[in-house]
Amino acid sequence: MPAQQSAARSAGEPGLGPRPGDSAGGACRLVRDPIDGTAVLAAVASPEAGGNVLFLGSTRGVTAGVTTLGLDYEAHEPLALEMLRDLAAEAVRRFDLCGCGIVHRLGRVAVGEASIAIAASAPHRREAFAASEWLLERVKTTVPIWKCEEGLDGVRTWVHSGDMRTGLGGGE
Amino acid sequence: MHNDPDTLNSPADPAAGRLFVTLFAGMAETVGSRRLEIVWDGGTVADLRRAVGRERPGIGPLLERSAIVVAGRYATDDTAVSRGADVAIIPPVSGG
Repeated sequence: MPAQQSAARSAGEPGLGPRPGDSAGGACRLVRDPIDGTAVLAAVASPEAGGNVLFLGSTRGVTAGVTTLGLDYEAHEPLALEMLRDLAAEAVRRFDLCGCGIVHRLGRVAVGEASIAIAASAPHRREAFAASEWLLERVKTTVPIWKCEEGLDGVRTWVHSGDMRTGLGGGE
Repeated sequence: MHNDPDTLNSPADPAAGRLFVTLFAGMAETVGSRRLEIVWDGGTVADLRRAVGRERPGIGPLLERSAIVVAGRYATDDTAVSRGADVAIIPPVSGG
C-alpha cells in the first residue's frame, strides 16, 4: 500500500516501517507525518470482516479551560514499536479480529490533528469496538510514548502521571 | 556488587566501569541531556536506581515512579545490569 510505505519512510529511521506479518498481526507504525486514517483502516480490511472501526485520537485545543497550542510526542522507539505490535497481536487473539493496526505520531502535533489511529476489523462490530477501546487503554498506560503539552504562555510540560512501577502510566 | 563512586571515579582507577543511561521526556529535560553517564561496575536494577538517584537527586521523585529497561526489556529490581549495558529509564507514559 503506497500510503503505508510513504508513512513508514517518513519516520526516517530503519525498523519503524512495516514488517512481514504486519498485515495479519497488526499494521503498527510510528510516524512523524500526519496520519492517514483511511490508510490505517484499509490496512486491516478483510473479506471476513463485517465491522470495521477506526479511532482517531486528536489534540484537544482546550482541556478543562486551559488552552493547548500543540503537543510534542517522543518515544523509546524500538520498544514502543515492539509493544504496539505485541498489543495488536494480542488484540487479534483476544477479540478474534480479522486484523488491527495502531499508528502513533511522534514529534509536533498541532491542535486538531490525530496523534493516534487504531483500526480494528472483526466479523461483527462488537468485537471491533471492544478491541479498539482495549487497545487505546493499553497504549495510553503501557507503551513508552510521552506527550509534552505546550500552553498558551509557551510553557512546555511533560505529562508523567501514574506509576510505571505499579504497572501503569497515567492514561491521560 | 561493588559500586562506590568515590573510589571508582578516581583517576587512580582507570578501569572503573561506566554506564550510559538513556533518558526520555521530562526526565531528560530535568537532567538537560538524553544520556546520563554513571560510574558502574555491575549490580542490580535496584543498585542502579540508587546510583542514578545519587548522581541526579533532582530526578528522584520521577525515578521512583519509573520503570527500567535493560537490553530492550522491562526489568525488575533484581535484574542484573552489567558494565556497558543498554539501559533506559521509562518515566510514566502518556501516549495516545
